[in-house]
Amino acid sequence: MTKTLLKAAAFLAILGGLLALPRFMDSPYALHMMILLFLSVSQGESWNILGGYAGQHSVGHAAYFGVGAYTTMMLMQAKGIAPWIGVWAGVAAVIVVALVIGSICFRLRGPYFVLASIAVAEIMRLSAINLTGLTNGAEGILVTELPAFRIGGRVITDFMTKVPFYYLGLGLALLTLAVTWGVERSKLGYYFQAIREDQDAAHSLGIHISLYKNIGLVISAVLTALAGAFYGVYVGFVDPPTVLGLDLSVQIMLIAIIGGMGTLYGPVLGSLVLVPLSEALRSNMITDLLVKSGLVSADSKVGLFLKENLAHAHVLLYGILVVLVILFMPEGIMGFVKKLASRRRKEAV
Amino acid sequence: MAVFLQSLISGILIGGVYALIGIGLTLIFGVMRVINFAHGDILMVGMYLTYILFTFAGIDPFVSVLISFPLMFIFGGFLQKVFINRVLNAVAQNQILLTIGLGLIMSNTVMLIFTSDYKIITTSYSSSTFQLGGGVSVSWPLLISFLITSAITAVLYWFLLKTDTGQAIRATAQDREAAQLMGINVKRMSIIAFGLGSALAGTAGALISPTYYIFPQVGSTFTLKAFVITVLGGMGSVVGATLGGVLIGITESMSAAYISSGWKDVVVFSLFLLVLLLKPSGLMGKSRT
Amino acid sequence: MRKHLLALGATLAMSPLMAQKIGVINSMSGPEAPIGESITNGIKLAEEDLAKKGIRVQLVWEDDTGKPQISMSAMEKLATRDNVVGVVGPYTSACSNAVSKLAQKYRVPLLIPAAAKEEITRQGFKYVFRMNAPADRYASSLIDASLTLGKPKTIAFIYENTDFGTSTSKTAKDYVATKGIQVVADEPYPKGSADYRSTLAKIKSKNPDLVFMVSYVADAILLMRQSREVGLQPQAFLGGGAGFTTAEFAREHAISENVISCTQWTDDVNWPGARDFGKRYKAKFGKDATYHAACAYESMMIMAESAAKSGSDRDKTQALLKAGKWNGIMGPVQFADYDGFTNQNNHPMLVQQIQAGGYETIFPKEFATKKAVYPFPRWK
Repeated sequence: MTKTLLKAAAFLAILGGLLALPRFMDSPYALHMMILLFLSVSQGESWNILGGYAGQHSVGHAAYFGVGAYTTMMLMQAKGIAPWIGVWAGVAAVIVVALVIGSICFRLRGPYFVLASIAVAEIMRLSAINLTGLTNGAEGILVTELPAFRIGGRVITDFMTKVPFYYLGLGLALLTLAVTWGVERSKLGYYFQAIREDQDAAHSLGIHISLYKNIGLVISAVLTALAGAFYGVYVGFVDPPTVLGLDLSVQIMLIAIIGGMGTLYGPVLGSLVLVPLSEALRSNMITDLLVKSGLVSADSKVGLFLKENLAHAHVLLYGILVVLVILFMPEGIMGFVKKLASRRRKEAV
Repeated sequence: MAVFLQSLISGILIGGVYALIGIGLTLIFGVMRVINFAHGDILMVGMYLTYILFTFAGIDPFVSVLISFPLMFIFGGFLQKVFINRVLNAVAQNQILLTIGLGLIMSNTVMLIFTSDYKIITTSYSSSTFQLGGGVSVSWPLLISFLITSAITAVLYWFLLKTDTGQAIRATAQDREAAQLMGINVKRMSIIAFGLGSALAGTAGALISPTYYIFPQVGSTFTLKAFVITVLGGMGSVVGATLGGVLIGITESMSAAYISSGWKDVVVFSLFLLVLLLKPSGLMGKSRT
Repeated sequence: MRKHLLALGATLAMSPLMAQKIGVINSMSGPEAPIGESITNGIKLAEEDLAKKGIRVQLVWEDDTGKPQISMSAMEKLATRDNVVGVVGPYTSACSNAVSKLAQKYRVPLLIPAAAKEEITRQGFKYVFRMNAPADRYASSLIDASLTLGKPKTIAFIYENTDFGTSTSKTAKDYVATKGIQVVADEPYPKGSADYRSTLAKIKSKNPDLVFMVSYVADAILLMRQSREVGLQPQAFLGGGAGFTTAEFAREHAISENVISCTQWTDDVNWPGARDFGKRYKAKFGKDATYHAACAYESMMIMAESAAKSGSDRDKTQALLKAGKWNGIMGPVQFADYDGFTNQNNHPMLVQQIQAGGYETIFPKEFATKKAVYPFPRWK
């Protein structure tokens, strides 16, 4: 009982901190990184519901992200519909898309399901490129002006700073966490787990396999589409490779797997590692740090070499990280931590 | 008519090279049940090998196959022994991510060494053709690479059917545990299979080098294509992959001519999904149950 | 004491001796990296030349990996954390679109060296400047050149289905419509296809007078090789910039001779320092300078000079960029407002033809070095 209380208290403390953060932190760069972090958490949690809990490892989640982003942006650009209204059209569209995809892919298992999910996402990407009349093709959709958000004639926010996006992102991340928490504790979570562990056994227990797979997919797809709409509105620009590409599908899956699949906080941990790390690698902060700490002189051969190459090598380091995690922490960071904890407990006994 | 014949011929010839890529992947999948997302990147390594041999030693790309085949075999065996072996019993998405990670390492290491410039190999025969009449032409380098591909496929088929090692590989592909019980060294077969798969991908890379171009990220296009070909033919089936390769070559070529080059990949992926739904074991595959 | 320090700080900031902190956003890794490298090299040469002029710059390099949201991270960091005076970059149109909004918001002068999309400088952003001519110019210069050379009636398009390829061809299609030229084929292709023969055979069957292509270097060579294979024989092959204007392309004599293309820059044009830039670039980096490199070089020179003159002040730098006139390796540069553009350098595109293995400018007349070969000679 005390443990649950403690957990709740810790959660509330962190939440309170996050809610208050923009009051103390006025650096837009830091807020931007927080927004990217929230986005990553939402993507990872959404994938986790289908991939982690129900065990259907989709490598095509970019399709849902892209449908959410594109529908919202298209309606905003062509019809001037505000994104907080357009996003619901995006949700409706993604449910249809998810059910069509589900009806194709869920007939397949294991590697065949993975490949089918890739193929469907690629078809979506290529269609977005070719249907130029609808999507503006490879040129993408650019919307820089957002209408002000009003309630009863009162302007709540005009989206001129990062703060409204920060709270939107936070809300989205909390929503995905709450849905995951709900799924985990409900009968749904139990069915998902049964399907993940042994599909045939689940079937003989009388669980309607394709129904529950489709429910998992729709929940996951809708949340991913919300994240996509948020991305589109925040960045102000979408085009086929950035919101429908295979890279994005892999990235989404990576968040959950690095953090720990099928666990509530896994994707959060994954995001906490991946987002800062890729930013640090990209912007060469590691070299700066080494130079500042006096370990490497900026003008020395090593310093110059790092400066020249580290920025180019960050994808390489990313690849090495992925390989190391898979080889040495196959259950992700969450699994690794749990294993350590249980070992310690055993030692204590 | 000229358009039709031209598309058919170049489709078949390109399809030969696709087949080689698909056969490599299907061997790896058949024996290990691992979807190799680094397959295109292995092909890319083969291309750079060809480029190095051509630029620094003046060795013709078609001749260089003799050198790159064994080198790529060793490279593949190394990958299997050091990395893939450790995840053979892991869940599918971990295997996928591992090969994606390996692919990223390969393409970015190559990028650091060679920069990301496009490299073009220009030989005296790069755009030489002969006329079939009626305005239809056949590219010499494509025809030669098609013939080499056919020869390699024939030898490979003989190897799998007639030699002890080949039969052991097939046994492992059919039922890993039973093969182990029968005293087959399954680990060794896996290394050979991955080595062969890599060597075939590398060879495909060498064969398209004279008519294509080389850059560090070239792999991803071929990885996806290899998946489609392999599934189309039936995962694990060498004959299936050969047919699948030629079929995809023709499909691409025909849909570019009669639909639009922008939609040709959509046609290919739709065909892929159709086969998955209607005959999930592939054109030549046996039932998976 | 504190007052003294402040005063000292103020004089240091005003002095041109202090290093000018300038941001660079570029695609150094990822799929756009090959061109990103040219831009990096151009900026490195600019850094050297600025030092010779007594202007010290401290460059903050940011890789955007070709992704808009990463480009935004870079801009947020440069504008609010590194406090740069101005930014040169990004390379791609997608990234430039995402970043220009932020440049305007933080009032950081942004000089885009080589992104082609027209909209970027059509949003009325006062802090966003562009060096290169936008996509519509590629098409109009090539079509105008063909119309002075012959009487083409039909045209076929084949282009990569990326932002650059699509937007360049779109403006070209609009432009030929006004000139009464009929479009007989319109073929976007996915980058990296191994086989264009069937598409080219289809185009050949339509027998177009002009074939308009937009591709990067590797596909440019492939397309021309296979055009020769299938015997595609128009009055002219028109290459919309990019791959058709590279030294690698020109070196493929058998297939590139007599191809007409347009470019932002060549080293044989009589703009001050252009020839010298080409030579020094080749000596330093071991490859030929591209127009991307030249655009990036000139952008950095102009940004750094303006920043130094302003005493590291963003608003003053913006004013100096807006008011200034330069004449360097890119010819006359001025950031003007016209035809709905804001702060757009009205850069003349050069139309060139490969003759005897080298690029010769054939249009517009005032820059022409050789007479054009038209129509395209029969394939051997």
